[in-house]
Formats: sequence, structure tokens, C-alpha cells
Amino acid sequence: MRFPYCQHRHTLPDPESLALDIKGLGVSYSTEGKLALKDFDLSVPVGSIMALVGPNGAGKSTLFKAICGLLPIRTGGIRIFGRCLTECHHRVVYLPQKSRIDWQFPVSVLDLVIMGRYVYLGWFQRPKLSDIQEAKKALREMNILDLANRQISKLSGGQQQRVLIARALAQNADLLLLDEPMNAVDTATRQLVADVLHKIKDQGKTAIVATHYYDQQEGRYDGAIFLRDGQRMRDGLTHQESSHKGCDCE
Amino acid sequence: MIHFFLDPFQYVFMQRAFLAAVVIGVLCAALGAFVVLRRMAVVGHALTHSALPGLVIAYLMGANLVFGALIATILTAFGIGFFACEDSVYEDTLVGMVPNVMFAFGILLISTSKSFRDLFSMLFGNILGITNGDLHLIMILAVVSLAALFLFYKELKLSSVDIDYARTIGMPVKFLHYGILLFLSLSVVVGIQAVGTVLTNALLVVPVAAARLWTDRLGRLIFLSCFFSVLSAIGGIYVSYYFGTASGASIVIFCFVIFMVSWLYKFVKERKIFKGYSNG
Repeated sequence: MRFPYCQHRHTLPDPESLALDIKGLGVSYSTEGKLALKDFDLSVPVGSIMALVGPNGAGKSTLFKAICGLLPIRTGGIRIFGRCLTECHHRVVYLPQKSRIDWQFPVSVLDLVIMGRYVYLGWFQRPKLSDIQEAKKALREMNILDLANRQISKLSGGQQQRVLIARALAQNADLLLLDEPMNAVDTATRQLVADVLHKIKDQGKTAIVATHYYDQQEGRYDGAIFLRDGQRMRDGLTHQESSHKGCDCE
Repeated sequence: MIHFFLDPFQYVFMQRAFLAAVVIGVLCAALGAFVVLRRMAVVGHALTHSALPGLVIAYLMGANLVFGALIATILTAFGIGFFACEDSVYEDTLVGMVPNVMFAFGILLISTSKSFRDLFSMLFGNILGITNGDLHLIMILAVVSLAALFLFYKELKLSSVDIDYARTIGMPVKFLHYGILLFLSLSVVVGIQAVGTVLTNALLVVPVAAARLWTDRLGRLIFLSCFFSVLSAIGGIYVSYYFGTASGASIVIFCFVIFMVSWLYKFVKERKIFKGYSNG
């Protein structure tokens, strides 16, 4: 017997739907404040890797927070694989740029990655052997299985980022929202993140990567969405259409 | 030597005190682990002081003191939770203000009563004076609270370490926060029986602080906190029995001694590690 965290039970995706379908989205941080995102439309097909490009304060993190339910929606709507968020929490994972994780908390790396399985367990269920194996598989994919028993306060910035991506992989989500994952990490980690993204793309999953520096060669994106002041700047580009090799939005 | 340990058990009130000490120690330490790790120690402080007016009103009405304290702490906990969520007043401002106001209200009520024999035990606890009725109530509250901690352990762990991720997977973090406040109120009421309103927060915080010096795993931290807490409660009772000291204060001081020993152990251990590096 399962008791999911959300009142709605997890439902199967709509087979013909887009991975993400946003129409007329308006989001603000308070009920009466200025809209941080205005009349925003976006369609992301299943199995693509898109870059969400914009300077700091453009609304990239706001968009991600709205998609995964951390911010209330003022106008418009969001469909994820044809469903509303409350029906598919397990399909979406958000990796924030500045997480509010308590890195001093007394848990090991493996414990933290196993938390990626909680969405499937719901109330009262404890992680099983299969959940531990999923977590270890995710750690192996991120090349940090040797850190499994390390306390999370003893990780470097790059290792922290790898652990969070491992937790996202352990969740086995179909839509990954990564906020500046290439920021403040070494070249090896950047390369690993790009490789992992393409591996999950091959598995039919979708990813949106927020970045203020659009480097098509590094990210190997299928397209880009440009944001400024909470509004979409122009249509998504495929990499064949884009003449950019690198584009700094700062 | 054996008589030293067994002598107190010839009295029924001492048997009750030891049993209460074990139950109170386990409950306060287990919940205290989450209170400390969620940076809510100041909320615990606010709640312990808020119990005083409830105790006094119950005393003046001739009602059960535990129920009085329970109502006062639950109202305060939910009041703090509600106003903090409204964002009109910062939570730390509330927890700085509420205990003083509630404590002042308690003292005001006390001053209206001409005779007040139990004031000392309300403020500083009297585990040796626990009645059978108190003991039953303590055990019921402890069983309910520990069962809730066991059932929601996984959710409390995740919402403590990464609240945003907990929200993205649909976990009702507000419900968990209010749940912690509710069970914190229950353990405060239980703790007041042992060490009084002024010192209860020490039972929630000090054993966990000591245990944190020994381990960096949550499960072990909770187990060690419970062990230290029970050890100090029992040790404090022996000190109180043999030296005639106040039981509540003896328990807290015993607990602090454990913390200092733990701190010294860690200090020496780290110095050794440091020496090892410099030599190598």
C-alpha cells in the first residue's frame, strides 16, 4: 500500500504530449508584486536538451521554480508530459543554483542520494535494497561511488554538484531542470555533466539547462531559449540555425 | 558499592523518578536532535518559558498542571508558526519576544496568588515529586511522540536537510513543521516535570550537542543523544539523592559535564590528528 506525498496519485504521461508545454505563464514572488515572468510561452519536445539563456535576474530560476511548484502561478498554465505537476512530481527534478541544503547535516553522500527515491516511497515506506542500488548506480554514473560513505560536509563544491546530479539521476525523472550546473565547477565536472545529459537524452529524457553563458559546443544543446527581464527574447534556435559558438549574456 | 546504586530504589518515589527520567531523557533527546538540526533551539526555549502561565492558571483552577502547560505551549507553538508564515514579523523576533511576555504573564498571575508553594518546582522541576498520574501521562505523551518520530523519520530528515527538494517532490513541509512544533510542545511539557520551565531547553539541546561531537550520522546521533540524556537524568537523580541538591539543576549540570567531556575528547583527538599531519 502506497501513500504518495501529494493528494493526486502518480499518473502515466499523455503519450502524444510535449515534455513541457507552457502557455501565457505569469509568476510573481508575492501575491501583489511585480511579475517576474510575463506571458511566457514554451514548448519543449520529449528527448531534447535545451539551454535556457539569460543574464542574472532574467527569470531563469523563477521559471524553474514555477515548473516544479515552488512558486505559485498567477496566469497561464504548465503541463508536464500532458499532466499537471501534482500528478507527476516524480517526473520532474530541479537542481537549483543556490540550494538551501544544510551541508552540515549529519548524513552521508549515499543517504542524500537515496532521498531521490523518496518520491516513489511516499509516507511510511523505508528505502529498500532496490532504492539503495539505484542510488549507487547514480553515484557510479557521476564517478563518485567512492564518496558514498563520506559525510556531506566534507565535499568540495564540484563534488557537491555531482552528488546533487546523482540524486536527480536516482529519482529517474523524465524532465531535468538544471540551474547553472556548469557554474563554479572544474572542467572535468563540466565535461561529465554534458556527457551525463546526453546519456539521459539517449534514454528519451528531457533536460533544460539554465546558463548565462551559451556555449553550444560544450553543452551540445538541441536548442536555446533566450530570456530577458522575465520575457522570452526570440524563438528557440537549433544549433544548426545558431551561428553562435559562445554567447555571454552578462 | 552495589548499595550505593540500589539504596534509592527502596523508595517508591525514587522508582517513579528513575522511570520518568528514562522516558523524559529518551523523548527530549530524540526530538531534540531534529530541533537542534533544524536550528529551532530558540523555539524550544520560547516554548519552555511559555508553559509557565499555563501551569499557574491550571494550579489556580485546581486542574492538572500538565494539561495547563500543554495548552499554553501548543498555543504558543502554533502562534509562532502562524505569525512566522505570515512574514509580518521575523520568526527570531517572535521567539525573542514571546517567552519573556509569557513568562511575565506567568509571574503576574503568581503575584495575584497569596500562597504559592509549587512555584519552585514549576520553575526548576521536581522529578522526585512525580505522582503515578503524572507518570502515566508522561508515558502516553512519550509513546505518541516517539511513534510519530519513527513514522515520519524519513520525511523529517529530508525536510531538515533540503526543504526545497522536499517541496518539489510534493512533501507537505508546512505540515511537518507544525508537526515538529506540536511534538516539541509535548516534550517540553514532559521535560518540565523533570527540570522545570527554566531548564527544559537544556534537555533538548545539550545531549544533542554532546552527541554531535561523537558522530556525523543522524541515526547514531539520535541514539547517543538518548543515551547521554538518560545517563544525565539518572546521574542527576543520584546526585540529588545523595547530596540533597535540586534534582532539575543536578540533571542539567550532569548533562553539561558529559558535553564538556565530549568536547575535550574531540579537542584532544583533533590535536593528535593535527600532530600526525605536521610530523608526516
